[in-house]
Amino acid sequence: MRRVMLLCGGLAVAAAAAWIGESVSSPRAEVHAAQAAPAATPEMLAKIAEGSSQFQQKCSFCHGRDAGGGETGPDLTRSKLVLEDVNGNKIGEVVRTGRAGKMPPFDLSSAEMDAIAAFIHAQQAKAKAEGGRRGVNVEDLQTGNVAEGKAYFEGAGTCAKCHSATGDLAHIATKYQGLQLEQHMLYPRDAKSKATVTLPSGQVVSGTVQLHDEFFLGIVLADGTYRSWPVDKIKYTIDAPHEAHAKLFPHYTDADIHNLMAYLQTLR
Amino acid sequence: MMNTWKSKVCVWTLAFGSASAAVAQLPDQATLLHPGADSWPTYHGDYTGQRHSKLTQITPKNVGSLTLAWAFQTRSQMELKSSPLLVDGILYFSVPDSVFAVDARSGHLVWHYTYPPNKGSHIGQRGVAAYKGSIYFLSPDCHLVALDAKTGKERWRVEIGDVAKGYWTSMAPLVVGNHVMVGVSGDFDNLRGYMKSFDAETGKEQWTWYSTPADRTGGMTWMTGTYDPDLNLVYWGTGNPTPVLTAVTRPGDGANTCSIVALNPDTGQLAWSFSVSPHDTHDWDATEVPVLIDGPFQGQQKKMLIQASRNGYFVVLDRTNGKSLLTTPYSPVNWSLGLDKDGRPIPNPAKDPAPDGRLIAPDEGGATNFRSPSFDPKTGLLIVPAREAYSIYFSKPADGTYGWSGADYGVWEKGVLKAIDYRTGKIRWEHETGVSTTSGILTTDSGITFTGDFHDNALALNTADGKTLWHANTGAMISTSPTTYELDGRQYVLTGSGGVLFAWTLPEGTK
Repeated sequence: MRRVMLLCGGLAVAAAAAWIGESVSSPRAEVHAAQAAPAATPEMLAKIAEGSSQFQQKCSFCHGRDAGGGETGPDLTRSKLVLEDVNGNKIGEVVRTGRAGKMPPFDLSSAEMDAIAAFIHAQQAKAKAEGGRRGVNVEDLQTGNVAEGKAYFEGAGTCAKCHSATGDLAHIATKYQGLQLEQHMLYPRDAKSKATVTLPSGQVVSGTVQLHDEFFLGIVLADGTYRSWPVDKIKYTIDAPHEAHAKLFPHYTDADIHNLMAYLQTLR
Repeated sequence: MMNTWKSKVCVWTLAFGSASAAVAQLPDQATLLHPGADSWPTYHGDYTGQRHSKLTQITPKNVGSLTLAWAFQTRSQMELKSSPLLVDGILYFSVPDSVFAVDARSGHLVWHYTYPPNKGSHIGQRGVAAYKGSIYFLSPDCHLVALDAKTGKERWRVEIGDVAKGYWTSMAPLVVGNHVMVGVSGDFDNLRGYMKSFDAETGKEQWTWYSTPADRTGGMTWMTGTYDPDLNLVYWGTGNPTPVLTAVTRPGDGANTCSIVALNPDTGQLAWSFSVSPHDTHDWDATEVPVLIDGPFQGQQKKMLIQASRNGYFVVLDRTNGKSLLTTPYSPVNWSLGLDKDGRPIPNPAKDPAPDGRLIAPDEGGATNFRSPSFDPKTGLLIVPAREAYSIYFSKPADGTYGWSGADYGVWEKGVLKAIDYRTGKIRWEHETGVSTTSGILTTDSGITFTGDFHDNALALNTADGKTLWHANTGAMISTSPTTYELDGRQYVLTGSGGVLFAWTLPEGTK
């Protein structure tokens, strides 16, 4: 039960989405909408209803029935991508191409995508109007101690073996905040492994690993060319320094993590 | 047409030793109790849930020449998660809203049934059940549908749950005699889990068993259970209590949630219950296959139930009474303070989801999930499609006490097949599969383990040591648990990949 899906779409405008969401979902928001917003057209309400139906079938398992996150899938109502989406330009791309290892691609008609996006934007607006709800705020992640985090970084955590607060991590807290920073800190999922391959001819090539299973190694060379070999026909080494993060999991206490977060958040 | 008729007669003859038996409608209870080599009449293949086949034509020596017999395209965007049944030469399998009947020799489509569009979650469909000429299918919107196995025409349809409240269905029913037993799914709402049994002939409801008392919720019955005919007990795993990630409104163990339960199939009465995750706050359903095995345990012959559970623990129970024989982790686990006197893990309160997050192993997807393991009687190994995984779990008062009530985020995972010796819980071998595991397991008496890896490769491994013997890239994620059967003297192995069902066999004449 592990793969996820997002949705796609193209609702009219983000501003319109705000009041549409309020008018379809929450009684409290409905009153608000009736006072402050223009009436939803029957067409838009129908589109959101259709989007809701599509969402329940295809997306709800991972992203939750209300798009607020479910089994393994992120909360879409707090998604930066959804917030920045206009007419499905951002969500549509994710839906059509999927996310490697996380979410399969979906081949939806443009009408289905429109409807689903309308529903997501409506849910986002509703969540905003309702206040307290699921999700992780930057404020939630402030329970650590900066000095202890720094000591752990430089000592027991072994972070300083590979990282430097004034080098690769300088301004890291400007680049990432809150949960995103914590996730990068625990394990940088987007990090790529490098491979160095010695061919039977003796030639040595290196590049970024794209495929590595029991049978093949496929790498992308510096000029963008893809090359692959059966693993039993070559000699190769793989350099994946980010895997050191996984080795730390059995050793972290939750306090270590919170302290490290406190320290990293000072690196602005 | 003529060929089909002839081959049917041939199968009947093999099964009953007499062509006159062809008037009976298969599978009957005798077939379900003792399935032949030419049948796979239940989700697990037989009532034990071992997913182990006695077939030996494909061996470690010749499996390297395994080749494609045929492929069937469902043309569905939804992945096949179903285990195809084989009854009388026809395979029956499903994706949400669709059932297919396909010739097991040729891959030819015999019929295709479609259920009307509906609002139930379409996350998956594990398959169908068969009994006396009917095929039983659960729709995403909680209807049990009986189809004519010959034509795919609907015989009857009954509602088993209210989709508007948040229930849906994804499992293959289990048939025991005249009982068609079904379970329900649902995670987003505070709802009571239950099982129901229906008359196989008429669809009339026979009984309902609720996982939780009226003032508690959760305990969904997502997956197909197993059955011991001698004890006349059905074994079923139940899901997490709700709200999911907080227990502020549900103090205590949460009896019969995240549990293995034993029920009388005639009455729905609970015989015993074992809680694999007392007081769960991490969504660790105990709905993984409750595998039934008989054999020695610490010097005594035992009737056992073994489960590699989602929470990271392997459990061995005496299935006559539900008492623990062994509980031990098979994958990284950091949420427990040890075991209580009854062999149940003790949850560490410090590892409950919290406002500032807790690092937890395994993650929410669990150390294993719905994909079937397989038990190989010769080696005593339960081969589990396992994962090693960590995530961070959050919950705070503002998240409320309805439905999810928090959030969790996976940070790292690795797929590792683990061969667990049931007598000790020790891992005999491991086989890494990539970022995660996607496929279930089938073992055969010749010593082969069939499965798949994260890179879409169908795999045959040596059951003794986990070494790879054969592979084929199928081009899409393998979300099925493989099955096997023998027809006309040829052994076939089925693996579903994406929306395609592949049938593998040896070239004619292979020794």
